[in-house]
Amino acid sequence: MMKNDLNKIRNIGISAHIDSGKTTLTERILYYTHRIHAIHDVKGKDGVGATMDSMELEKERGITIASAATFCAWKGHEINIIDTPGHVDFTIEVERALRVLDGAVLVLCAVGGVQSQSITVDQQMKRYKVPCIAFVNKCDRSGADPARVSEQLKEKLGHNPVLMQIPIGLEENLEGIIDLVSMKAVYFDGDSGEDVRIEDIPDHLSSEAFQKRETLIDTVSLFSDELTEAVLEEQEITENLILAAVRSGVIARMLTPVFMGSAYKNKGVQPLLDAVAALLPSPGDVENQGLDLEKEEEPAILYSDPEKPVVALAFKLEDGPYGQLTYIRVYQGTISKGSDLVNIRNGKKVKIGRLARMHSDQMEEIDTIPAGYIGALFGIDCASGDTFVSPGTRITMTSMFVPDPVISLSIVPEDTKAQNNMSKALSRFTKEDPTFRTHVDKETNETIIEGMGELHLEVYVERMRREYNAAVTTGKPMVAYRETITRKAEFNYTHKKQTGGAGQFGRVEGYLEPVEEEFVFENEIRGGAIPTQFIPACEKGFAQSMAKGPKMEFPVTGVKVVITDGAAHAVDSSEMAFQAAARGAFRESYARAGSIILEPVMKVSVETPTEYQGTVMGTLNQRRGLIVGSQDEGVVCVIEARVPLADMFGYATVLRSTTQGKAQFTMEFDKYKQVPKDIEEELVKKAAQGKKK
Amino acid sequence: MQNIDIIRQNPLKNLGYETDDIVPEKGFGAILARSGVGKTSFAVQIAVNSMLRDIKVLHISLEDPVKKINLWYKEVFSNLAAKHDIQDTSNIWETVIPNRLIMTLRVEGFSIPVLEERLTDLIEQNVFVPNMLIIDGIAFDEKAPALLQGLKNLAEKYTMRTWFTILTHRHEDPAPDGMPLQLSDVKDLFDAAVMLQPEGDKIHVRPLMGTAQEKAGASLLLDPSTMLITASTE
Repeated sequence: MMKNDLNKIRNIGISAHIDSGKTTLTERILYYTHRIHAIHDVKGKDGVGATMDSMELEKERGITIASAATFCAWKGHEINIIDTPGHVDFTIEVERALRVLDGAVLVLCAVGGVQSQSITVDQQMKRYKVPCIAFVNKCDRSGADPARVSEQLKEKLGHNPVLMQIPIGLEENLEGIIDLVSMKAVYFDGDSGEDVRIEDIPDHLSSEAFQKRETLIDTVSLFSDELTEAVLEEQEITENLILAAVRSGVIARMLTPVFMGSAYKNKGVQPLLDAVAALLPSPGDVENQGLDLEKEEEPAILYSDPEKPVVALAFKLEDGPYGQLTYIRVYQGTISKGSDLVNIRNGKKVKIGRLARMHSDQMEEIDTIPAGYIGALFGIDCASGDTFVSPGTRITMTSMFVPDPVISLSIVPEDTKAQNNMSKALSRFTKEDPTFRTHVDKETNETIIEGMGELHLEVYVERMRREYNAAVTTGKPMVAYRETITRKAEFNYTHKKQTGGAGQFGRVEGYLEPVEEEFVFENEIRGGAIPTQFIPACEKGFAQSMAKGPKMEFPVTGVKVVITDGAAHAVDSSEMAFQAAARGAFRESYARAGSIILEPVMKVSVETPTEYQGTVMGTLNQRRGLIVGSQDEGVVCVIEARVPLADMFGYATVLRSTTQGKAQFTMEFDKYKQVPKDIEEELVKKAAQGKKK
Repeated sequence: MQNIDIIRQNPLKNLGYETDDIVPEKGFGAILARSGVGKTSFAVQIAVNSMLRDIKVLHISLEDPVKKINLWYKEVFSNLAAKHDIQDTSNIWETVIPNRLIMTLRVEGFSIPVLEERLTDLIEQNVFVPNMLIIDGIAFDEKAPALLQGLKNLAEKYTMRTWFTILTHRHEDPAPDGMPLQLSDVKDLFDAAVMLQPEGDKIHVRPLMGTAQEKAGASLLLDPSTMLITASTE
């Protein structure tokens, strides 16, 4: 039964690097909260796989791609967990998940520490101002050093970490943890660590524990006058006093309490759950804003009040065994079975049928989803990121940052059946993920998919094969090049045709010049040289020309068109004639405007053992990479570079083979940059060959 | 003269140094100041000026992460461009940025063999062949003479100019030769040194060694808002 005490709700994400063990941790959380009754490994020696990895592909690869939402309860608190993907290629999913969270657990590996992907995830958490607590996992592994990881949180991520626990033993000798707030030793007994045993701190650790507790109190007293007072006046420092101070620091995003353990060895998970309940904010602690469409999208504060009109965000779609599921976060009001809501994007009214809260791929039917909660709707046709409101409410949730795709791939279905299945899959994927797009190339008639990286597209192609049984062959990945101009060029173009019947006449005069924005059109004509009704046609003509650049047929960007003069004919001028004149003017002046080709350049970060530093730099250098720097992190170093996407294809394989699989990299789009002359010539040559064929 | 040419001139030259490079090939230069006065920012100005003159700068930091140093560079360059009213900064930046590589090393991991290994890596892989090193953050303590001698050998082997930042302390008397204590024992290895001295709301740049005699006593000022060298005050 769904309770309705906002203070007891926690909407949290578990964010981390691949392989830091977050799926195992989630699995253990679900076990201790009695949502599941057995524990499985991520890679599933028993062939079952961790519960949160609901997709088959994820099970096979041991990674989590979809942000399945799940619910559990802990000591009177209701916790909704969004399992966020760890790979940077899926950032839109991570970011969308973070958008609906109130807090997060940042999972770090006790051996690997803060790795390059943790940095990306952390940046995303910063962008959405998500308060977090850290869990240093894998303390049972050889080389585990939670104190070092805590230091890295400070050095690499700029957090203000504070140890809340210290380990009792480490690596294979990990026995339990010492809670620096209660000053007790905590052990985890039973087959699956389900019996928590509290003891006194072992003698050999007591001085370290007292010292670390002092540091803890020193650090957190900044966030509580009461605690500072208690310290100064040497009064008793209660657990609640410390926890309240830590909580203030966490909610203000000025403190990251660090917990530790080993999910795999069933150690430290229950205290982490206590921390989620005690330290992370409830929906009521967080201010959420929407945009008021009645007031030119002014920010509107949303209140976690179940009685107010509904404002809810659909943040995830899934096609499951129960049909289409829409995961939704309610920010205001209450969604009830049978009520009507409006999709603000298209104004369509929808009737709410079944409601559920999900536990990975199992579900529990409910009657209402009140403000602050996350739940799922059945059978609602919508796209990810859509806002649902009560009829009469005109609020949309903040539009989310959606980057343009940088890579494309042609896909060809192998037969008619595959063709149909592919269409279904594409329709679903594009709804789920706005960074994944698709279109049919008019010239080749091939279906083109576009996305944010090689792996991003690869995963969708595999999902097509597995989940939709759509066998497709893929072409070579293509980079999304663009064209632009570098200098001002004037035009004066007359479009004139007289081939019997009504003629066509239009003259436009003006200039093109480079601009930061994608396309700007300005009309500086005084005195009606071109009648006002034809000006939109001129703009349309120029805008049409931007779709395919005259140089290489890549989309054109960064052009300002200013028309200063022109001429019209009383009979022969028409919208069509001015559109044609504008296209002619664009073509004519473009050649003189110093056109160049732009290519996407990626921000690449490679984490490698120091001994391979030179080799890795060499591989980046060979790919026209500009190496920004290398950061020494002790046994590993992180190399930052900017590399054209065109040269990054297959880099994962190269990196693996040159570093014996010991290095890893992440990349994300940085900016568009001019293609060097020699590469431009190659592109021109290739395009010419392509045309001949 | 175009603005871009103006920013290519080394403003330190106004202290009486003979060339834009200030220190000779294979030579050592030092920037001394107390904590927080702006040593790194000043070192970055020297680096940016060199990069604009197509000199390849390897910036080695023992304190700050790559990201932070990168920001220093961007800020110094954009302040410099704004000061001289230079448009189209991003294009100029794109051309000079390949002249710089940042490398951070941990204090405990910094040694001559490690640095030489890194340098060899860069050169052999044809990634970057530096003409200048900026070394920010090594301690000028009792171990410094040996370390600096090792660095001198490297500078000679790879033909690099090297600039160091040196941390001084507030209530410290100079050595008998009038030099700051940190520099006194190793001054023979250095060709030029400047001291950043805050006085009231001003920060003076004073030459300690390496200037032509006639300009001795000259000093420059740093603009406290941008930390760029502004006017000379003689």
